[in-house]
Amino acid sequence: MMIEFVNYALNGALLGLLYALVAMGFVVIYRASKVFNMAVGEMLVLGAFLVWWAVAASAMHPAVGIAAALAISVLVGLAIERLLFRRLIGESVFSMIMVTIGLLILMRGLVLLIWGPQERPFPAIISLTPIIIGDMIVPRPLAAGGLIAVVCAAGLHWFFNRSRTGLAMSAVAEDHQIALAMGISVRRSIAFAWALGGVLSVITSMVYLSGKSLTFLSSEIGFAALPVALLAGLESIAGLLLAGLIVGIVQGLTAAYIDPLIGGNAASVVPYLFMLVVLVVRPTGMFGWKRIERV
Amino acid sequence: MSDSLESPRAGSGHADGEPLPPPHGGHDSHADPLLALANVEVLYAEVILALKGVSLSVPRAGCVALLGANGAGKSTTLKAISGIIDAEDGRVSAGGIIFDGRSIRGHDTAGVVRAGLVHVMEGRRVLPHMTVAQNLIIGGHMFPSTVAMRRALDAVYQAIPRLSELRTRTAGYLSGGEQQLLVIGRAIMAEPKLMLIDEPSLGLAPRMVEEVFAVLHRLREQGLALLIVEQNTRVALALADYGYVMEGGRIVLEGQADELRANEDVREFYLGLDREGGRKSFRDIKHYRRRKRWLG
Repeated sequence: MMIEFVNYALNGALLGLLYALVAMGFVVIYRASKVFNMAVGEMLVLGAFLVWWAVAASAMHPAVGIAAALAISVLVGLAIERLLFRRLIGESVFSMIMVTIGLLILMRGLVLLIWGPQERPFPAIISLTPIIIGDMIVPRPLAAGGLIAVVCAAGLHWFFNRSRTGLAMSAVAEDHQIALAMGISVRRSIAFAWALGGVLSVITSMVYLSGKSLTFLSSEIGFAALPVALLAGLESIAGLLLAGLIVGIVQGLTAAYIDPLIGGNAASVVPYLFMLVVLVVRPTGMFGWKRIERV
Repeated sequence: MSDSLESPRAGSGHADGEPLPPPHGGHDSHADPLLALANVEVLYAEVILALKGVSLSVPRAGCVALLGANGAGKSTTLKAISGIIDAEDGRVSAGGIIFDGRSIRGHDTAGVVRAGLVHVMEGRRVLPHMTVAQNLIIGGHMFPSTVAMRRALDAVYQAIPRLSELRTRTAGYLSGGEQQLLVIGRAIMAEPKLMLIDEPSLGLAPRMVEEVFAVLHRLREQGLALLIVEQNTRVALALADYGYVMEGGRIVLEGQADELRANEDVREFYLGLDREGGRKSFRDIKHYRRRKRWLG
Protein backbone atom coordinates (compact mmCIF):
# COMPACT_ATOMS: atom_id res chain seq x y z
CA MET A 1 0.00 0.00 0.00
CA MET A 2 2.67 2.41 1.06
CA ILE A 3 4.94 1.43 -1.78
CA GLU A 4 2.10 2.00 -4.19
CA PHE A 5 1.61 5.52 -2.86
CA VAL A 6 5.30 6.30 -3.19
CA ASN A 7 5.28 4.90 -6.70
CA TYR A 8 2.35 7.07 -7.79
CA ALA A 9 3.84 10.12 -6.14
CA LEU A 10 7.24 9.54 -7.70
CA ASN A 11 5.83 9.06 -11.17
CA GLY A 12 3.64 12.11 -10.69
CA ALA A 13 6.65 14.11 -9.60
CA LEU A 14 8.62 13.07 -12.67
CA LEU A 15 5.71 13.90 -14.92
CA GLY A 16 5.56 17.27 -13.16
CA LEU A 17 9.22 17.84 -13.94
CA LEU A 18 8.45 17.11 -17.58
CA TYR A 19 5.73 19.76 -17.42
CA ALA A 20 8.31 22.07 -15.87
CA LEU A 21 10.63 21.41 -18.80
CA VAL A 22 7.85 22.25 -21.27
CA ALA A 23 6.93 25.32 -19.23
CA MET A 24 10.53 26.50 -19.49
CA GLY A 25 9.65 27.20 -23.11
CA PHE A 26 7.22 29.85 -21.89
CA VAL A 27 9.54 31.31 -19.29
CA VAL A 28 12.70 31.49 -21.36
CA ILE A 29 11.02 33.52 -24.05
CA TYR A 30 9.25 35.64 -21.47
CA ARG A 31 12.43 36.36 -19.53
CA ALA A 32 14.24 37.68 -22.56
CA SER A 33 11.51 39.50 -24.42
CA LYS A 34 8.42 39.99 -22.20
CA VAL A 35 6.40 38.05 -24.74
CA PHE A 36 4.16 35.22 -23.61
CA ASN A 37 4.60 32.55 -26.23
CA MET A 38 1.30 30.80 -26.92
CA ALA A 39 2.94 28.56 -29.51
CA VAL A 40 5.08 26.54 -27.11
CA GLY A 41 3.25 23.30 -27.92
CA GLU A 42 3.59 23.88 -31.65
CA MET A 43 7.29 24.61 -31.32
CA LEU A 44 7.62 21.34 -29.46
CA VAL A 45 5.87 19.45 -32.24
CA LEU A 46 8.08 21.12 -34.80
CA GLY A 47 11.16 20.14 -32.76
CA ALA A 48 9.83 16.60 -32.51
CA PHE A 49 9.29 16.35 -36.26
CA LEU A 50 12.78 17.66 -36.85
CA VAL A 51 14.19 14.92 -34.63
CA TRP A 52 11.95 12.33 -36.26
CA TRP A 53 12.95 13.50 -39.71
CA ALA A 54 16.66 13.48 -38.89
CA VAL A 55 16.85 10.29 -36.87
CA ALA A 56 14.05 8.05 -38.19
CA ALA A 57 13.29 9.22 -41.71
CA SER A 58 16.78 10.21 -42.87
CA ALA A 59 18.40 7.46 -40.79
CA MET A 60 21.23 9.66 -39.57
CA HIS A 61 23.22 8.54 -36.58
CA PRO A 62 21.17 9.70 -33.54
CA ALA A 63 23.89 12.07 -32.32
CA VAL A 64 24.26 13.68 -35.75
CA GLY A 65 20.51 13.77 -36.23
CA ILE A 66 19.91 15.46 -32.89
CA ALA A 67 22.62 18.00 -33.61
CA ALA A 68 21.01 18.71 -36.98
CA ALA A 69 17.59 19.08 -35.37
CA LEU A 70 19.01 21.48 -32.77
CA ALA A 71 20.72 23.55 -35.46
CA ILE A 72 17.56 23.79 -37.55
CA SER A 73 15.48 24.71 -34.52
CA VAL A 74 17.88 27.55 -33.75
CA LEU A 75 17.52 28.79 -37.32
CA VAL A 76 13.74 28.59 -37.02
CA GLY A 77 13.89 30.64 -33.82
CA LEU A 78 16.05 33.27 -35.50
CA ALA A 79 13.74 33.35 -38.50
CA ILE A 80 10.75 33.95 -36.23
CA GLU A 81 12.50 36.97 -34.73
CA ARG A 82 13.63 38.29 -38.09
CA LEU A 83 10.29 37.91 -39.87
CA LEU A 84 7.83 38.72 -37.09
CA PHE A 85 9.17 40.33 -33.95
CA ARG A 86 11.78 42.70 -35.30
CA ARG A 87 9.04 44.84 -36.79
CA LEU A 88 7.17 44.94 -33.52
CA ILE A 89 9.82 46.44 -31.24
CA GLY A 90 8.29 49.55 -29.72
CA GLU A 91 4.76 48.27 -30.27
CA SER A 92 2.71 47.08 -27.32
CA VAL A 93 3.60 43.73 -25.84
CA PHE A 94 0.00 42.70 -26.30
CA SER A 95 0.33 42.82 -30.06
CA MET A 96 3.40 40.60 -29.80
CA ILE A 97 1.38 38.05 -27.84
CA MET A 98 -1.29 38.12 -30.52
CA VAL A 99 1.46 37.40 -33.03
CA THR A 100 2.39 34.26 -31.10
CA ILE A 101 -1.21 33.06 -31.49
CA GLY A 102 -0.85 33.60 -35.21
CA LEU A 103 2.41 31.72 -35.01
CA LEU A 104 0.61 28.81 -33.31
CA ILE A 105 -1.84 28.49 -36.19
CA LEU A 106 0.84 29.00 -38.81
CA MET A 107 3.17 26.38 -37.35
CA ARG A 108 0.38 23.83 -37.00
CA GLY A 109 -0.48 24.42 -40.66
CA LEU A 110 3.15 24.10 -41.72
CA VAL A 111 3.60 20.84 -39.83
CA LEU A 112 0.46 19.43 -41.47
CA LEU A 113 1.60 20.67 -44.85
CA ILE A 114 5.08 19.19 -44.62
CA TRP A 115 4.53 15.97 -42.69
CA GLY A 116 0.80 15.34 -42.92
CA PRO A 117 -1.57 14.21 -40.19
CA GLN A 118 -0.54 10.56 -39.90
CA GLU A 119 0.93 9.06 -36.75
CA ARG A 120 4.66 8.50 -36.71
CA PRO A 121 6.57 6.26 -34.30
CA PHE A 122 9.01 8.54 -32.54
CA PRO A 123 12.48 6.99 -32.20
CA ALA A 124 13.37 5.83 -28.71
CA ILE A 125 16.17 8.31 -28.21
CA ILE A 126 16.11 7.54 -24.52
CA SER A 127 15.98 3.81 -23.84
CA LEU A 128 12.59 2.57 -22.72
CA THR A 129 13.61 -0.12 -20.23
CA PRO A 130 12.24 1.05 -16.91
CA ILE A 131 14.44 1.65 -13.93
CA ILE A 132 13.47 -0.73 -11.13
CA ILE A 133 14.44 0.15 -7.59
CA GLY A 134 13.08 -2.44 -5.18
CA ASP A 135 9.35 -2.49 -5.85
CA MET A 136 9.31 0.83 -7.64
CA ILE A 137 9.15 1.06 -11.39
CA VAL A 138 10.22 4.29 -13.01
CA PRO A 139 10.02 4.86 -16.77
CA ARG A 140 13.48 5.76 -17.94
CA PRO A 141 12.50 8.67 -20.26
CA LEU A 142 10.67 10.34 -17.39
CA ALA A 143 13.63 9.85 -15.05
CA ALA A 144 15.98 11.29 -17.64
CA GLY A 145 13.50 14.09 -18.22
CA GLY A 146 13.48 14.94 -14.52
CA LEU A 147 17.25 15.11 -14.51
CA ILE A 148 17.33 17.24 -17.67
CA ALA A 149 14.71 19.56 -16.22
CA VAL A 150 16.77 20.10 -13.07
CA VAL A 151 19.96 20.70 -15.03
CA CYS A 152 18.28 23.08 -17.48
CA ALA A 153 16.58 24.98 -14.66
CA ALA A 154 19.85 25.38 -12.75
CA GLY A 155 21.70 26.53 -15.85
CA LEU A 156 19.05 28.96 -17.01
CA HIS A 157 18.52 30.30 -13.49
CA TRP A 158 22.20 31.10 -13.26
CA PHE A 159 22.19 32.60 -16.72
CA PHE A 160 19.28 34.97 -16.18
CA ASN A 161 20.11 36.04 -12.64
CA ARG A 162 23.88 36.08 -12.52
CA SER A 163 25.48 36.40 -15.94
CA ARG A 164 25.65 39.86 -17.44
CA THR A 165 24.20 38.83 -20.79
CA GLY A 166 21.30 37.16 -19.03
CA LEU A 167 20.69 40.15 -16.79
CA ALA A 168 20.68 42.42 -19.82
CA MET A 169 18.02 40.17 -21.33
CA SER A 170 16.01 40.29 -18.13
CA ALA A 171 16.12 44.06 -18.50
CA VAL A 172 14.38 43.63 -21.83
CA ALA A 173 11.68 41.62 -20.04
CA GLU A 174 11.26 44.45 -17.54
CA ASP A 175 10.90 47.25 -20.02
CA HIS A 176 11.89 47.46 -23.66
CA GLN A 177 12.45 51.20 -23.58
CA ILE A 178 14.76 51.17 -20.56
CA ALA A 179 16.75 48.37 -22.14
CA LEU A 180 17.02 50.36 -25.37
CA ALA A 181 18.16 53.46 -23.51
CA MET A 182 20.94 51.48 -21.87
CA GLY A 183 22.16 50.34 -25.24
CA ILE A 184 20.94 46.76 -24.90
CA SER A 185 19.97 45.36 -28.26
CA VAL A 186 16.33 44.38 -27.78
CA ARG A 187 16.46 42.76 -31.18
CA ARG A 188 19.32 40.46 -30.27
CA SER A 189 17.71 39.60 -26.97
CA ILE A 190 14.48 38.54 -28.63
CA ALA A 191 16.37 36.56 -31.26
CA PHE A 192 18.29 34.76 -28.56
CA ALA A 193 15.07 34.03 -26.68
CA TRP A 194 13.50 32.32 -29.66
CA ALA A 195 16.62 30.40 -30.53
CA LEU A 196 16.78 29.17 -26.95
CA GLY A 197 13.09 28.31 -27.12
CA GLY A 198 13.78 26.26 -30.24
CA VAL A 199 16.60 24.33 -28.56
CA LEU A 200 14.46 23.66 -25.50
CA SER A 201 11.62 22.39 -27.66
CA VAL A 202 13.87 19.83 -29.31
CA ILE A 203 15.22 18.62 -25.97
CA THR A 204 11.75 18.45 -24.45
CA SER A 205 10.30 16.60 -27.41
CA MET A 206 12.87 13.86 -27.03
CA VAL A 207 12.05 13.41 -23.37
CA TYR A 208 8.32 13.56 -23.88
CA LEU A 209 7.91 11.47 -27.01
CA SER A 210 10.65 8.84 -26.83
CA GLY A 211 9.02 5.59 -27.93
CA LYS A 212 5.57 7.15 -28.29
CA SER A 213 3.77 8.09 -31.46
CA LEU A 214 4.05 11.58 -32.85
CA THR A 215 1.29 13.55 -34.55
CA PHE A 216 0.55 17.24 -34.81
CA LEU A 217 -1.75 16.80 -31.82
CA SER A 218 1.18 16.16 -29.51
CA SER A 219 1.22 19.93 -29.05
CA GLU A 220 -1.43 19.54 -26.34
CA ILE A 221 1.29 19.18 -23.77
CA GLY A 222 1.94 22.90 -24.24
CA PHE A 223 -1.36 23.74 -22.63
CA ALA A 224 -0.95 20.99 -20.05
CA ALA A 225 2.20 22.78 -18.93
CA LEU A 226 0.50 26.16 -18.73
CA PRO A 227 -0.69 25.67 -15.11
CA VAL A 228 2.89 24.95 -14.07
CA ALA A 229 4.17 28.12 -15.69
CA LEU A 230 1.46 30.23 -14.09
CA LEU A 231 1.85 28.61 -10.67
CA ALA A 232 5.57 29.35 -10.68
CA GLY A 233 5.12 32.84 -12.03
CA LEU A 234 6.28 33.66 -15.51
CA GLU A 235 9.63 35.11 -14.47
CA SER A 236 10.97 32.35 -12.28
CA ILE A 237 12.89 29.45 -13.77
CA ALA A 238 13.89 27.73 -10.53
CA GLY A 239 10.32 28.11 -9.33
CA LEU A 240 9.15 25.97 -12.22
CA LEU A 241 10.67 22.89 -10.61
CA LEU A 242 8.70 23.32 -7.41
CA ALA A 243 5.52 24.19 -9.29
CA GLY A 244 6.03 21.17 -11.56
CA LEU A 245 6.49 18.88 -8.58
CA ILE A 246 3.35 20.21 -6.88
CA VAL A 247 1.16 19.91 -9.97
CA GLY A 248 2.65 16.54 -10.96
CA ILE A 249 2.28 14.90 -7.56
CA VAL A 250 -1.26 16.17 -7.07
CA GLN A 251 -2.19 14.98 -10.54
CA GLY A 252 -0.55 11.57 -10.04
CA LEU A 253 -2.29 10.96 -6.74
CA THR A 254 -5.63 12.15 -8.08
CA ALA A 255 -5.33 9.71 -10.96
CA ALA A 256 -4.52 6.88 -8.56
CA TYR A 257 -6.99 7.45 -5.75
CA ILE A 258 -9.79 9.76 -6.83
CA ASP A 259 -10.41 8.74 -10.42
CA PRO A 260 -11.44 5.14 -9.54
CA LEU A 261 -13.89 6.51 -6.95
CA ILE A 262 -15.71 8.85 -9.27
CA GLY A 263 -15.16 6.81 -12.37
CA GLY A 264 -14.03 9.85 -14.30
CA ASN A 265 -10.88 11.60 -15.33
CA ALA A 266 -10.38 14.12 -12.54
CA ALA A 267 -6.61 14.03 -12.96
CA SER A 268 -6.71 15.97 -16.20
CA VAL A 269 -8.85 18.70 -14.64
CA VAL A 270 -6.88 19.18 -11.45
CA PRO A 271 -3.99 21.18 -12.98
CA TYR A 272 -6.42 23.65 -14.49
CA LEU A 273 -8.24 23.99 -11.17
CA PHE A 274 -4.85 24.83 -9.72
CA MET A 275 -4.33 27.38 -12.44
CA LEU A 276 -7.65 29.08 -11.81
CA VAL A 277 -7.03 29.25 -8.07
CA VAL A 278 -3.58 30.71 -8.66
CA LEU A 279 -4.91 33.31 -11.06
CA VAL A 280 -7.52 34.40 -8.52
CA VAL A 281 -5.43 34.30 -5.35
CA ARG A 282 -2.02 35.32 -6.58
CA PRO A 283 -1.93 36.32 -10.24
CA THR A 284 1.85 36.65 -10.33
CA GLY A 285 2.39 33.04 -9.23
CA MET A 286 4.55 31.80 -6.39
CA PHE A 287 7.81 33.35 -7.53
CA GLY A 288 6.82 35.79 -10.26
CA TRP A 289 7.55 39.49 -10.26
CA LYS A 290 4.90 41.21 -8.23
CA ARG A 291 3.68 44.47 -9.72
CA ILE A 292 5.41 47.09 -7.63
CA GLU A 293 3.25 50.09 -6.93
CA ARG A 294 4.62 52.91 -4.86
CA VAL A 295 2.26 55.33 -3.26
CA MET B 1 13.95 90.92 -26.51
CA SER B 2 15.82 93.92 -25.41
CA ASP B 3 18.66 92.05 -23.85
CA SER B 4 22.24 91.49 -24.76
CA LEU B 5 21.79 87.80 -25.38
CA GLU B 6 21.72 86.23 -28.77
CA SER B 7 18.49 84.72 -29.91
CA PRO B 8 19.56 82.64 -32.85
CA ARG B 9 16.30 81.18 -33.99
CA ALA B 10 14.18 84.27 -33.65
CA GLY B 11 14.89 85.53 -37.15
CA SER B 12 11.52 85.11 -38.80
CA GLY B 13 9.66 86.94 -36.09
CA HIS B 14 11.90 89.97 -36.06
CA ALA B 15 10.94 93.18 -37.74
CA ASP B 16 14.46 94.55 -37.97
CA GLY B 17 15.46 91.63 -40.20
CA GLU B 18 18.79 90.93 -38.61
CA PRO B 19 20.53 88.07 -40.43
CA LEU B 20 20.29 84.59 -38.94
CA PRO B 21 23.43 83.66 -37.08
CA PRO B 22 25.22 80.50 -38.24
CA PRO B 23 23.71 77.18 -37.08
CA HIS B 24 25.89 76.85 -34.06
CA GLY B 25 27.04 80.27 -33.24
CA GLY B 26 26.73 79.46 -29.51
CA HIS B 27 29.42 79.93 -26.99
CA ASP B 28 32.93 80.80 -27.81
CA SER B 29 34.43 78.41 -25.25
CA HIS B 30 34.40 75.38 -27.51
CA ALA B 31 35.87 75.36 -30.93
CA ASP B 32 35.65 71.58 -30.76
CA PRO B 33 32.38 70.68 -29.04
CA LEU B 34 31.67 67.18 -27.78
CA LEU B 35 28.13 67.30 -29.10
CA ALA B 36 26.80 69.58 -31.80
CA LEU B 37 23.28 69.73 -33.19
CA ALA B 38 22.74 71.70 -36.38
CA ASN B 39 19.19 72.58 -37.42
CA VAL B 40 17.72 69.32 -36.18
CA GLU B 41 14.11 68.63 -37.06
CA VAL B 42 12.09 65.78 -35.58
CA LEU B 43 8.97 64.35 -37.10
CA TYR B 44 6.59 62.18 -35.09
CA ALA B 45 4.40 59.72 -36.99
CA GLU B 46 5.47 61.47 -40.21
CA VAL B 47 3.08 64.29 -39.34
CA ILE B 48 3.96 66.23 -36.23
CA LEU B 49 6.99 68.46 -36.43
CA ALA B 50 8.16 68.46 -32.82
CA LEU B 51 11.54 70.12 -33.32
CA LYS B 52 11.81 72.91 -35.83
CA GLY B 53 15.49 73.36 -36.41
CA VAL B 54 17.33 73.05 -33.11
CA SER B 55 21.01 73.94 -32.98
CA LEU B 56 23.03 73.61 -29.83
CA SER B 57 26.39 72.42 -28.69
CA VAL B 58 27.88 70.91 -25.56
CA PRO B 59 31.57 71.38 -24.72
CA ARG B 60 33.84 68.53 -23.66
CA ALA B 61 33.54 69.42 -19.99
CA GLY B 62 30.94 71.19 -17.93
CA CYS B 63 27.20 71.31 -18.04
CA VAL B 64 24.67 72.75 -20.45
CA ALA B 65 21.04 73.23 -19.41
CA LEU B 66 18.02 73.01 -21.66
CA LEU B 67 15.15 74.99 -20.18
CA GLY B 68 11.59 75.60 -21.17
CA ALA B 69 7.95 74.91 -20.43
CA ASN B 70 6.06 71.65 -20.95
CA GLY B 71 5.83 70.59 -24.57
CA ALA B 72 8.66 72.84 -25.68
CA GLY B 73 10.57 69.89 -27.14
CA LYS B 74 13.28 69.43 -24.53
CA SER B 75 12.79 65.70 -24.02
CA THR B 76 12.35 65.21 -27.75
CA THR B 77 15.72 66.87 -28.28
CA LEU B 78 17.38 64.41 -25.92
CA LYS B 79 15.60 61.44 -27.50
CA ALA B 80 16.64 62.58 -30.95
CA ILE B 81 20.26 62.70 -29.81
CA SER B 82 20.27 59.27 -28.14
CA GLY B 83 18.19 57.61 -30.87
CA ILE B 84 15.42 56.44 -28.53
CA ILE B 85 13.05 58.38 -30.74
CA ASP B 86 13.09 55.53 -33.26
CA ALA B 87 11.09 53.32 -30.91
CA GLU B 88 8.49 56.06 -30.46
CA ASP B 89 7.51 56.38 -34.08
CA GLY B 90 9.62 59.47 -34.53
CA ARG B 91 12.65 60.27 -36.61
CA VAL B 92 15.18 62.99 -37.18
CA SER B 93 14.01 64.33 -40.52
CA ALA B 94 16.63 67.03 -41.04
CA GLY B 95 19.79 68.42 -39.56
CA GLY B 96 23.01 66.98 -38.25
CA ILE B 97 24.02 65.46 -34.93
CA ILE B 98 27.75 65.22 -34.39
CA PHE B 99 29.11 63.49 -31.29
CA ASP B 100 32.82 63.34 -30.63
CA GLY B 101 33.60 64.16 -34.24
CA ARG B 102 31.30 61.57 -35.78
CA SER B 103 27.73 61.78 -37.01
CA ILE B 104 25.35 59.80 -34.82
CA ARG B 105 22.18 60.84 -36.57
CA GLY B 106 20.04 57.78 -37.21
CA HIS B 107 22.37 55.45 -35.31
CA ASP B 108 20.72 52.93 -33.01
CA THR B 109 20.90 53.58 -29.30
CA ALA B 110 23.28 50.69 -28.63
CA GLY B 111 25.85 52.27 -30.94
CA VAL B 112 25.36 55.68 -29.39
CA VAL B 113 25.86 54.32 -25.87
CA ARG B 114 28.99 52.52 -27.02
CA ALA B 115 30.29 55.78 -28.48
CA GLY B 116 30.08 57.28 -24.99
CA LEU B 117 26.74 59.03 -24.81
CA VAL B 118 24.15 57.85 -22.35
CA HIS B 119 20.59 59.06 -21.84
CA VAL B 120 18.94 59.08 -18.41
CA MET B 121 15.24 59.17 -19.16
CA GLU B 122 12.63 61.14 -17.32
CA GLY B 123 10.68 59.48 -14.53
CA ARG B 124 13.30 57.43 -12.63
CA ARG B 125 13.13 54.40 -14.88
CA VAL B 126 14.74 51.76 -12.69
CA LEU B 127 14.26 48.06 -13.39
CA PRO B 128 11.80 47.64 -10.53
CA HIS B 129 12.08 43.91 -9.86
CA MET B 130 15.83 43.78 -9.74
CA THR B 131 18.18 44.69 -6.97
CA VAL B 132 20.25 47.86 -6.98
CA ALA B 133 23.37 45.82 -7.75
CA GLN B 134 21.67 44.02 -10.64
CA ASN B 135 20.49 47.34 -12.06
CA LEU B 136 24.05 48.65 -11.98
CA ILE B 137 25.50 45.46 -13.50
CA ILE B 138 23.03 45.72 -16.37
CA GLY B 139 24.18 49.31 -16.88
CA GLY B 140 27.67 47.87 -17.39
CA HIS B 141 26.51 45.17 -19.76
CA MET B 142 28.89 46.15 -22.52
CA PHE B 143 32.12 45.71 -20.60
CA PRO B 144 34.20 43.00 -22.25
CA SER B 145 35.33 41.46 -18.96
CA THR B 146 33.85 40.96 -15.53
CA VAL B 147 36.92 42.50 -13.95
CA ALA B 148 36.43 45.79 -15.79
CA MET B 149 32.76 45.75 -14.84
CA ARG B 150 33.60 45.19 -11.15
CA ARG B 151 36.00 48.10 -11.25
CA ALA B 152 33.32 50.37 -12.70
CA LEU B 153 30.86 49.09 -10.10
CA ASP B 154 33.23 50.01 -7.29
CA ALA B 155 33.73 53.44 -8.86
CA VAL B 156 29.97 53.99 -8.87
CA TYR B 157 29.66 52.92 -5.23
CA GLN B 158 32.44 55.36 -4.42
CA ALA B 159 30.85 58.21 -6.34
CA ILE B 160 27.40 57.56 -4.87
CA PRO B 161 27.94 55.91 -1.46
CA ARG B 162 24.21 55.77 -0.84
CA LEU B 163 23.90 53.08 -3.54
CA SER B 164 26.50 50.96 -1.81
CA GLU B 165 24.30 50.78 1.28
CA LEU B 166 21.30 49.83 -0.82
CA ARG B 167 22.90 47.24 -3.09
CA THR B 168 20.74 44.27 -2.14
CA ARG B 169 17.46 46.19 -2.05
CA THR B 170 14.83 45.77 -4.74
CA ALA B 171 14.91 48.87 -6.91
CA GLY B 172 11.14 49.23 -7.16
CA TYR B 173 10.85 49.79 -3.41
CA LEU B 174 13.43 52.56 -3.13
CA SER B 175 12.41 56.14 -2.46
CA GLY B 176 12.16 58.51 -5.39
CA GLY B 177 15.48 60.16 -4.67
CA GLU B 178 17.23 56.84 -4.28
CA GLN B 179 15.81 55.68 -7.58
CA GLN B 180 17.08 58.83 -9.25
CA LEU B 181 20.54 58.21 -7.80
CA LEU B 182 20.31 54.64 -9.06
CA VAL B 183 19.50 55.57 -12.65
CA ILE B 184 22.37 58.08 -12.60
CA GLY B 185 24.69 55.39 -11.24
CA ARG B 186 23.44 52.93 -13.82
CA ALA B 187 24.17 55.43 -16.57
CA ILE B 188 27.75 56.04 -15.46
CA MET B 189 28.33 52.27 -15.47
CA ALA B 190 28.48 52.71 -19.24
CA GLU B 191 31.48 55.05 -18.68
CA PRO B 192 30.05 57.84 -20.83
CA LYS B 193 31.73 61.03 -21.99
CA LEU B 194 28.39 62.80 -22.06
CA MET B 195 25.25 62.20 -20.03
CA LEU B 196 21.88 63.47 -21.17
CA ILE B 197 19.66 63.72 -18.14
CA ASP B 198 15.97 64.48 -18.26
CA GLU B 199 14.23 66.14 -15.31
CA PRO B 200 16.27 64.66 -12.47
CA SER B 201 14.42 66.74 -9.88
CA LEU B 202 10.91 65.83 -11.01
CA GLY B 203 8.72 64.80 -8.09
CA LEU B 204 11.53 64.73 -5.53
CA ALA B 205 11.54 66.22 -2.05
CA PRO B 206 13.69 69.38 -1.86
CA ARG B 207 16.31 67.62 0.21
CA MET B 208 16.60 64.82 -2.33
CA VAL B 209 16.87 67.38 -5.12
CA GLU B 210 19.88 68.74 -3.28
CA GLU B 211 21.42 65.31 -2.92
CA VAL B 212 20.87 64.42 -6.58
CA PHE B 213 22.38 67.68 -7.75
CA ALA B 214 25.31 67.28 -5.36
CA VAL B 215 26.05 64.00 -7.15
CA LEU B 216 25.73 65.70 -10.56
CA HIS B 217 28.10 68.47 -9.41
CA ARG B 218 30.61 65.84 -8.35
CA LEU B 219 30.38 63.96 -11.65
CA ARG B 220 30.83 67.19 -13.50
CA GLU B 221 33.99 67.91 -11.54
CA GLN B 222 35.27 64.46 -12.44
CA GLY B 223 35.10 65.50 -16.09
CA LEU B 224 31.72 64.19 -17.23
CA ALA B 225 29.96 66.49 -19.67
CA LEU B 226 26.26 66.99 -18.95
CA LEU B 227 23.27 68.09 -20.96
CA ILE B 228 20.47 68.56 -18.49
CA VAL B 229 16.78 69.18 -19.10
CA GLU B 230 15.10 70.75 -16.10
CA GLN B 231 11.96 72.57 -15.14
CA ASN B 232 13.59 73.54 -11.88
CA THR B 233 15.44 76.43 -13.48
CA ARG B 234 17.10 77.58 -10.28
CA VAL B 235 19.01 74.38 -9.54
CA ALA B 236 19.70 73.78 -13.23
CA LEU B 237 21.32 77.17 -13.72
CA ALA B 238 23.34 76.68 -10.55
CA LEU B 239 24.83 73.53 -12.08
CA ALA B 240 25.12 74.65 -15.70
CA ASP B 241 27.68 76.92 -17.35
CA TYR B 242 25.53 77.61 -20.35
CA GLY B 243 21.85 77.39 -21.07
CA TYR B 244 19.35 77.23 -23.88
CA VAL B 245 15.67 78.13 -23.56
CA MET B 246 13.22 76.24 -25.76
CA GLU B 247 9.72 77.14 -26.80
CA GLY B 248 7.51 75.45 -29.39
CA GLY B 249 10.25 73.22 -30.77
CA ARG B 250 12.77 76.01 -31.19
CA ILE B 251 15.59 77.49 -29.20
CA VAL B 252 14.55 81.04 -28.44
CA LEU B 253 17.26 82.20 -26.10
CA GLU B 254 20.72 81.11 -25.10
CA GLY B 255 23.54 82.42 -22.98
CA GLN B 256 25.93 81.86 -20.11
CA ALA B 257 24.17 80.63 -17.01
CA ASP B 258 24.70 83.83 -15.04
CA GLU B 259 23.51 85.92 -17.98
CA LEU B 260 20.36 83.80 -18.16
CA ARG B 261 19.87 84.14 -14.44
CA ALA B 262 19.97 87.91 -14.87
CA ASN B 263 17.73 87.91 -17.91
CA GLU B 264 14.43 89.60 -17.33
CA ASP B 265 12.26 87.09 -19.16
CA VAL B 266 13.95 84.07 -17.62
CA ARG B 267 13.56 85.60 -14.16
CA GLU B 268 9.95 86.27 -14.78
CA PHE B 269 8.86 83.06 -16.47
CA TYR B 270 11.18 80.40 -15.11
CA LEU B 271 12.45 81.68 -11.79
CA GLY B 272 9.28 83.41 -10.66
CA LEU B 273 11.06 86.58 -9.58
CA ASP B 274 10.25 90.19 -10.32
CA ARG B 275 12.73 92.87 -11.27
CA GLU B 276 13.75 93.64 -7.71
CA GLY B 277 14.38 89.99 -6.96
CA GLY B 278 11.37 89.43 -4.75
CA ARG B 279 9.17 86.42 -5.31
CA LYS B 280 6.11 87.04 -7.38
CA SER B 281 2.73 85.72 -6.50
CA PHE B 282 2.27 82.40 -8.22
CA ARG B 283 -1.07 83.50 -9.56
CA ASP B 284 0.49 86.46 -11.38
CA ILE B 285 3.05 84.30 -13.03
CA LYS B 286 0.51 81.86 -14.32
CA HIS B 287 -1.68 84.59 -15.63
CA TYR B 288 1.15 86.41 -17.27
CA ARG B 289 2.63 83.31 -18.81
CA ARG B 290 -0.52 82.32 -20.52
CA ARG B 291 -0.46 85.53 -22.47
CA LYS B 292 3.16 86.08 -23.16
CA ARG B 293 5.01 83.76 -25.49
CA TRP B 294 8.27 84.25 -27.27
CA LEU B 295 7.93 84.71 -30.96
CA GLY B 296 9.69 81.87 -32.65
